[in-house]
Amino acid sequence: MLQYISSLFSDRLRLMCVSATGFVWLATSLCSLAQEKPPVAGKINTLEVMQSTSAMFRSAAAKMELSLVTIESWGGVRAREGKIGGIRKQGEGNTTGIAISTDGYIITSTFNFITRPPIIMVVTRDNKRHTAKLQGRDDLRKICLLKITDLDPNESLVVPEIAPLDKIKVGHWAVSMGVGYGDRSPAISLGIISAKNRIGGRAIQTDANISPANYGGPLIDIDGRVMGICVPMNPQSQAIGAGVEWYDSGIGFAIPLDGAEKLLERLKDSNIKIEPAFLGVMADANPSGEGMWIEQVVPESTAAKAGLEIGDVLVAIGGKPVSDQMSFKQVLIAFEAGQKTTLEYLVQGEGDIVEKNITFVPPPVSKDTIDQLEPPEIR
Amino acid sequence: MKNSSILKISIGMFCCLMFWPLTVIAQTPPSAMANLIDRCQPKMAKVIGAGTGSIDGYATGFVVSPDGLVLTTQGVFLDGPQVKIELADGKSYPATILRRNRTLQLALLRISPTEELDHFVLSESDVGRKGDWVIALSNAFKVASKSEPVSAMIGVISLRSSMEAKLNQRDVAYKGPLVLIDAITSNPGASGGAVVTFDGDLVGMIGKLINSSETNTRINYAVPAAVLKEFVEGTLETQQSAVNSATKKQSRGELGIVLFKMGDRSDPAYIDRVRRGSPAAKQKLKPDDMIVSLAGKKVGSVKEYQLAEKELIAGENVTIIVKRGLEIIRLQITPQPKQ
Repeated sequence: MLQYISSLFSDRLRLMCVSATGFVWLATSLCSLAQEKPPVAGKINTLEVMQSTSAMFRSAAAKMELSLVTIESWGGVRAREGKIGGIRKQGEGNTTGIAISTDGYIITSTFNFITRPPIIMVVTRDNKRHTAKLQGRDDLRKICLLKITDLDPNESLVVPEIAPLDKIKVGHWAVSMGVGYGDRSPAISLGIISAKNRIGGRAIQTDANISPANYGGPLIDIDGRVMGICVPMNPQSQAIGAGVEWYDSGIGFAIPLDGAEKLLERLKDSNIKIEPAFLGVMADANPSGEGMWIEQVVPESTAAKAGLEIGDVLVAIGGKPVSDQMSFKQVLIAFEAGQKTTLEYLVQGEGDIVEKNITFVPPPVSKDTIDQLEPPEIR
Repeated sequence: MKNSSILKISIGMFCCLMFWPLTVIAQTPPSAMANLIDRCQPKMAKVIGAGTGSIDGYATGFVVSPDGLVLTTQGVFLDGPQVKIELADGKSYPATILRRNRTLQLALLRISPTEELDHFVLSESDVGRKGDWVIALSNAFKVASKSEPVSAMIGVISLRSSMEAKLNQRDVAYKGPLVLIDAITSNPGASGGAVVTFDGDLVGMIGKLINSSETNTRINYAVPAAVLKEFVEGTLETQQSAVNSATKKQSRGELGIVLFKMGDRSDPAYIDRVRRGSPAAKQKLKPDDMIVSLAGKKVGSVKEYQLAEKELIAGENVTIIVKRGLEIIRLQITPQPKQ
């Protein structure tokens, strides 16, 4: 019964989200259309204007399609009773990837590789099936690289054009693409850029449908250039599956590729694993003033190494003040493990501010990381 | 006399010039879309049946003939003592069930209106291409009742697809064409709704809630108009059985492979045994080889192998890919007639 109510609630929430975002989107897109092409007075027909955009989406998608690959993997998940954090079959169905180099590097989402499947195959646009290997992964941005291992020397992949990040504006058209429904041809969904600089400045937000059907696929602009890679994300949690519960909700995220050249170069190394920064405290807003009151400190964590103790008041991380759960999470999410910064705190909430240099450690490795995943609800 | 008429004309022209921009503004964006939706609303129906427990007692439908044929989704809600249809003008009619199809989840109802009804025309050919804008009309969550118009949503056609999807965890036998859309129509009560192009042509009917068996997420789709037309005309079943018998006539092929079964059809397709003299034996396939792909289809499980093998035709060469140890082996194999 409870489940039924909650499912009903989430249905309604989805509908509300969708209709609200849909309305805003339509209003903005009509405005932006009006700006792009000044209407001839007395002759405008909205439907005709909008219908002409369909041809633009189609040609943009057709251009991108050349760089799209279908990823097939075997035995990664089912070996563990077919369930990971409540997500069934992930890494089992077809998933989407994008060629980022002519010599066989493919970018996709880590969501498609929650475990390391023994076999990964990549089907390129010319319908050739190649074997591939998993390279480095970035658990913060939820992207990873694959390398095709059996590409003929005379074969080369088509690398897509990348949209400059500073030219991506809120309200611009966005088309998400993915082959996750099992077809060779990708499904497309249309929306706009809803926001930039989300999730610690790492993601752009869109109201185009983003779901397991297109995680790892591109979010493209009207010219067929890649704006970002579609990934599941939720600012409240860094768990690998977090964000799936918002699938097709009108709230979707993509990791921009412009400016990510260094990161992608790093990820070509299969030993690279970029992890979230783990501070290791439980804290709450300080009832008697500024900062966050420390309630618990995890041994061996970044906080423990900085000498933080229960009852101290954390004032700032990297010079940015923290005063409540929201700002605390927002500030922390911008860091990754291995990064150096400063902690400012008051010992037992009194005296002068103590400043310590810290290097963030990654989250502790649990015995079975898979069971630690937060179960997102997928029905 | 002459002067006054010139004056009148000039006043008239002045008024025209003055109010002309206003008329233009009034005709711009909202009205064109609103007109389209207004044209569709009289064709929509609210279907009210019996609900029990967690099963919703309602759905959407639309009129497909002037004399009162209404298409809707098949469901338990039709099994109650009475099914009622409310049209856009608020009039309510008792409905009789003419035909139901469980594999397509379609139902055809009849009402007896006193006058001719505005209706959708079912096209024989595909309506709408990938990327085309569409309006989805439905009474999701039973938001509207009586003469209230049903809800309109906007989206584009995501893909024209033919997919294996599942309903309530059980496989749906139907593997025909579907039109995926990106408006979120996978909500209670929306099925049976209409998906139309900006020209007002019917793309299809919002289908029953299903999860994609590939992604395990709810999918938003329409059953194409051409399939609906066949269903309404009663030619669908006969066509399907004709297709079935046509494939039976071709000589089905097999490879002589026995898979390792751990009792679950979702286990990876490991070879347990290769029959002597079979095509698999000729290609030196071995026990413990894992089948990765057959005839261009991905084989991820025992079940997928069985499905792929069903499609084989004796004597027609196909490619099989197996994993042996850490090696990926690609072989050409010729199926033998199925014994």
